[in-house]
Amino acid sequence: MTRSAFVAVFTLLSVVLAFAGAGEARTAITGTVKSKAGQPLPGLALLEKGEIHNNVWDRGVLVDASGRFTIELPEGGQYGLHVYSSGYIYAPQAVRVEAGKTLEVSVTLVPEPTRANDPVIKRVGFFPWEARQSKVTFVKLDVADPNDDLGPQVMAFNAATGRVYAMEPPRKVRTLKANFPQGVYQLEIDTSQVPINPRDWHFVIADHRCNTTDILSFPHEPKSPRVIR
Amino acid sequence: MAYDCAVTRGACVRVALLLAALGLPGLALAGSPDLVAEGERWWTTSPDPANPVACATCHWDAGATRGWAASFPKWKPLPPPAARVMTLFQANAEAVTRHYRLSDPRRAAATITAYLAAQGAGVPRSPGMSAGQPVFPKRLRALAASVERGKALYARRCDACHWAGDVARTLTAYPRVVGGRIESLEEYLELHRGEPLLPWNSQATADLIAYLSEELPR
Repeated sequence: MTRSAFVAVFTLLSVVLAFAGAGEARTAITGTVKSKAGQPLPGLALLEKGEIHNNVWDRGVLVDASGRFTIELPEGGQYGLHVYSSGYIYAPQAVRVEAGKTLEVSVTLVPEPTRANDPVIKRVGFFPWEARQSKVTFVKLDVADPNDDLGPQVMAFNAATGRVYAMEPPRKVRTLKANFPQGVYQLEIDTSQVPINPRDWHFVIADHRCNTTDILSFPHEPKSPRVIR
Repeated sequence: MAYDCAVTRGACVRVALLLAALGLPGLALAGSPDLVAEGERWWTTSPDPANPVACATCHWDAGATRGWAASFPKWKPLPPPAARVMTLFQANAEAVTRHYRLSDPRRAAATITAYLAAQGAGVPRSPGMSAGQPVFPKRLRALAASVERGKALYARRCDACHWAGDVARTLTAYPRVVGGRIESLEEYLELHRGEPLLPWNSQATADLIAYLSEELPR
């Protein structure tokens, strides 16, 4: 093959591939989050893969100050979308996304009427495991709950990777409907390739009755929650 | 035409006999103001003043909840292994047990059922599907399996005495008030003679009602 023929074939192939790529529409969930009064709310949008409340957490995004978010998905299917904003009761909804399409959702949150029943994040810590040359880091969350009815939603979100985690309780829990224990929840994160950056991490908890903490972001200093009027 | 009339008249007689057997005449039926009003109170007001989050706190949009009653029985996506097909009464009982921490959720669940049924009056029945919500094929398959189990259970337990079409027509008469006591269909079935026993909150009871619901016109 002559050089000019090779260039022509290569160019043609590139054009074909570019068009093929352009034809692959993205699969995504996009949405707006607002209060009942219509005020846009920032926060977190976290996804379970499959049936909602199955505790199989997948990915998430930050909801921006204008209440907008978009979660890109590798495939269509059923997901459980959970939206959180500080001072508001979290909102779960089951969604079905078709491959190659963008699902538009609108989420309206209502404020917690009192914060007295909310779970409490007392402390957050990031602890490299020295024995493993810091290739593993433990993320730990000290959690209390005035009603002692915590559920599996003790959530950690890494905004850098988009990964969502339900943290491990301090002891085994029989079923997801059982009351989860208070104490130190943890995650084991592989930091052999990329060191952990606490600035990327956000935490939120919702108990069995949907009472929801504020979102705790860097510098992870818990504050007294306030009631939104 | 004459055949249709005869069938209709025959069916009416059978239903009247069944209603009489169930003791329904003279009872406060579903939709009676007392049940609905009490259900609305449970819906809008938490029994725990220290935790005032009620059903209506989150489910405040009447337009969104109007279709709920018509969508039952359906798959309730609770954390596994609790997820299953439930009746509206069972789903309400689960919710008030969890949110209101009631040791006996039946009265609240029954009256909320009456309230939601009244809110959804005129909404076409669509078991497994809520208007305006996505349709989930897995949930519909689970409901279809529940209907099949219910059909087999009905044949084994009920068919010798009751024609399913007639029984199905009494479904909307519940919850009701009997001797001053509020009774759901599920509690009635639990007390009704026959084997196996059907606990009001069981999967088998939901299966039976899922089957009978299929016998109702859409």
